[in-house]
Amino acid sequence: MSERDEGVDVAARHALGWLVFGNAVGLLMAVLLLWPSWNPGEWTYGRWVPVHLNVQLYGWLSLPLVACLLRGFEVGRSRVGGWGGAVVWGWTAALGAGVWSWLGGQTSGKIFLDWKGGALTAFMVAQGLLWLVLVLAWVDRRGGWSRVRQVVSLMTLAGLAMVPVALWFASSPELYPPVDRTTGGPTGASLLGSTLVVVGMLLALPRVMGLRGGGWSGRGVWWFYGISWVVFGVSEGIGGTHFDFLQIGALCFLVPWTWILAKDWDAFEWPAGAMPWRWASLGWWGVLVLSGCLLYLPGVLDRMKFTQGLVAHSHLAMAGFTTSFCALLLIILTGKRVGGRVSVGLWHVAALVMVVVLADAGWREGGGGSWMVDQPMWRTLGWVVRAVCGGVMLTVSSIWCFQQRSS
Amino acid sequence: MRSESWRGAVLVACVYGFFLIFAQFSLVELVRGEGIGLLGERAVLGVMAVAGMAAGFFRAWRGASVGGIRWALGIAGVAAVVAPWVGSVPMFLVIAVMTGVGIGMATVSLSSMLPAWCGVWWIGVGTGLGYGICNVPWVFESVPGVQAWVGAGFCVVGLLVVPRAGEWRREVEVRVFPVWAGVILFTALIWLDSAAFFIIQHAGELKEATWGSAHLWRNAVVHAVAAVVAGWALSRRGGERVPVVAWVVLAVAALAVNHPELRWLAAWLYPVGVSLYSTALVAWPGWFSGASGSKAAGWRAAWIFGVAGWIGSANGIGMAETLQRVPPMFVVGSGVVVLGVVGLRTRDWRAAVVVGLVMVPMFRPVVRETGLERLSAVERGREVFVSEGCIHCHSQYVRPGTADEERWGPVREWEEVREGKPVLIGNRRQGPDLSRVGLRRSAAWLRLQLEEPGALAHGSAMPSYGHLVDTGRGEDLIAYLTEVEPEAFAERFLRIQEWVPKPVGGDLPDGGRLFERHCAVCHGGDGRGFGYFSGRLERPPANLVVGPFVWSADEESLRRIIKFGIPGTDMPGHETLTDGEVISLAEWLRGLRR
Repeated sequence: MSERDEGVDVAARHALGWLVFGNAVGLLMAVLLLWPSWNPGEWTYGRWVPVHLNVQLYGWLSLPLVACLLRGFEVGRSRVGGWGGAVVWGWTAALGAGVWSWLGGQTSGKIFLDWKGGALTAFMVAQGLLWLVLVLAWVDRRGGWSRVRQVVSLMTLAGLAMVPVALWFASSPELYPPVDRTTGGPTGASLLGSTLVVVGMLLALPRVMGLRGGGWSGRGVWWFYGISWVVFGVSEGIGGTHFDFLQIGALCFLVPWTWILAKDWDAFEWPAGAMPWRWASLGWWGVLVLSGCLLYLPGVLDRMKFTQGLVAHSHLAMAGFTTSFCALLLIILTGKRVGGRVSVGLWHVAALVMVVVLADAGWREGGGGSWMVDQPMWRTLGWVVRAVCGGVMLTVSSIWCFQQRSS
Repeated sequence: MRSESWRGAVLVACVYGFFLIFAQFSLVELVRGEGIGLLGERAVLGVMAVAGMAAGFFRAWRGASVGGIRWALGIAGVAAVVAPWVGSVPMFLVIAVMTGVGIGMATVSLSSMLPAWCGVWWIGVGTGLGYGICNVPWVFESVPGVQAWVGAGFCVVGLLVVPRAGEWRREVEVRVFPVWAGVILFTALIWLDSAAFFIIQHAGELKEATWGSAHLWRNAVVHAVAAVVAGWALSRRGGERVPVVAWVVLAVAALAVNHPELRWLAAWLYPVGVSLYSTALVAWPGWFSGASGSKAAGWRAAWIFGVAGWIGSANGIGMAETLQRVPPMFVVGSGVVVLGVVGLRTRDWRAAVVVGLVMVPMFRPVVRETGLERLSAVERGREVFVSEGCIHCHSQYVRPGTADEERWGPVREWEEVREGKPVLIGNRRQGPDLSRVGLRRSAAWLRLQLEEPGALAHGSAMPSYGHLVDTGRGEDLIAYLTEVEPEAFAERFLRIQEWVPKPVGGDLPDGGRLFERHCAVCHGGDGRGFGYFSGRLERPPANLVVGPFVWSADEESLRRIIKFGIPGTDMPGHETLTDGEVISLAEWLRGLRR
């Protein structure tokens, strides 16, 4: 499946570069919690947070998906093949502009949607240029494609055309998603909806990448996927809180997907070197879904909300599941391994230790507001472990980045 | 080791040394020392630049030679020897012409002939040696006359070590770095360097923190080591990475000089950045410009020293003189130029075009402050709250029916929360919830918390925001945080009156330790009201030994005051203390009276 493709190679390198940068910022933040006086002037902890979050989302997570689009539309084989790497550079430049903007205090104030002003426009331009290259590649290459592929890719282009506009509206302070008033957080239905998008990506991965084999249960998987979306629609429409069975039940619709996806992926032939990351993806995915449902239960959410417990869950999602998914995607796209046995193992151990320590601290913190103040030794120890794990992850990701560049 | 190698390196050190200590420092100070005005000073520097460019292009046209280098050093040396005795503008103009001619001819000749004498690694050694000697305290702090003679000494040593003409060769195969790219690249770097250097040298406090007596030896060593590393990197990695790294280092240093607390960083980074690009600058004509021989390298050297060297530095100094700072947007702009030039070389022109298009919106007029003056202090304060990312550590949402209500309440109406643009609920509480924090903390207390959070609130991981208080943005933030509708006070008061600590079994926590952690910072270690912050509050903290509260407050009231503070005063609550801790602390406080 893998082939030499400049745009894909550049996207893979940039993705890993942003992972290293994001991890470095994460380590910096962990250190700043331990030594607040080390905050560098106006670039305080609060300004570094959006940098850390957005670099991981729009750099490490998004660029492998950009690479996937470049491969899917056969940009490298088209007459605009030379522009594949260029639009990735544009994406990176826009994200760099975002970093500069957030550090300068320019933010919309919406987590993961901090784009504002010139940086927002720059990112929209980058997305627009990527879209233009995909369109030109589609025009050039579609003649050799099946009818189904032509239609699906055209629909994809239509959907992608809306992304910059959607980003513009989503980052606007005027909009805010539905909220569970008892927690100030998302409803169970909202969580189900956003996670079903991820389920869709997981289902699409082996199929879009053209891996041999077929879905384990054929249409049954897609039927259940459709039903899950119906459940989302109903529960979102009715609304409610985490005390309502409807919202809890809606979120629990994700649980079967831990097993279904494992069975589905098992029916495909994966490339050499993908196995550790494939199992890691499924493993982290299972833990993510089960812990997410558990966290949403009455009493548990009330205790863990606003604590380090939710930070633990975020790291479980990003450092555990997302990283495994992105690494798997890069292996399929580039044919290059992402890390050796030791470095991959170290990453997962560090991520797991960080998640467990933060979850434990969050549980204690949620039990009494004074824990963070009255137990400075345990709190500090937790932060030290977090920083050490961050250091390990930074080192490991740097090795991956270096290996990607030199291979 | 061939003698030509070390001779070439020493010659580089001598030319750099003469330029730095005489042309950049001593001559300017000698002119000022004679009471010649700014116009005369500029005339001297302008004449030197024109003479330098003209001499450089003349030497490129005639071709570099060993004899040309000797003539250049001779002319420069005579100018330096004579300069301390000169006292009039016309004579200084003559000295400036001689200095410019000497530098222009020497730099072009030297950089185009170096490949005949030594490897690129030696360029780093020579550059480091030149910068290092000029930063030795005895040289750097000498009077201008002595510095002029040190400059002349460099010329004499240079004359003694000039190698014989040799075969032009390069020990590393490098990618061609075209003339226009080199000129643009080094113009951006020299512009940035000159601006930062001017600012450092003209702000007494800044100069003391970076080029003060205590730092000179360190600067000398850092300069020397960085230049040697640059020479090594150029020999191993080619000519593209060193200028990029130099820009990154200089950019951070240039931004850091604007912040007093970061000047230590600038002091370390600035010499590193300068040494890196200075080494690359000398190496570029012979190794990385694509020149195939001495003649071609000479023309490239003339262009780069003429345009990048003289014009880049003049513009950098001019910008710093006008603005008195290095604008962050200039740093970004220079970065776009440097990365663009290198990117254009190493990637392709398409990437440069795309990056250019993407970055265009970033250069539109900055509108950040526009309209802020029309906002109220509360509205501006909300902008500060968003801008500083306070939301990442402080929620603003009291969950109904939870312990939040007791600690941070009362609950706000959902419609009121939704009205916020953006909604500021938050996800994480590294610190307390800040909904209606004005009910629990006074403006004076919040100001102290912004300035010295670690000292005021035990166990706080919050960084200092003293810079906000200094600029007035802190007052806006405080106005936003303390804005509370009057009805909320009544609601909060009723809630407080209902509160009674639950009975606690077993041993109580150590009240004395709790007092030390939470109270002593204002009330003093002995409770008499003379704590660290006592003088910075609206009213002095109560004397807990003889103060009035002991007479008036019953046990429950005292506990409530500990837990919730006294709304409307500087006495804050300690909402996260457990019931046992509150009971213990109240007990301990009553003990102060016994």
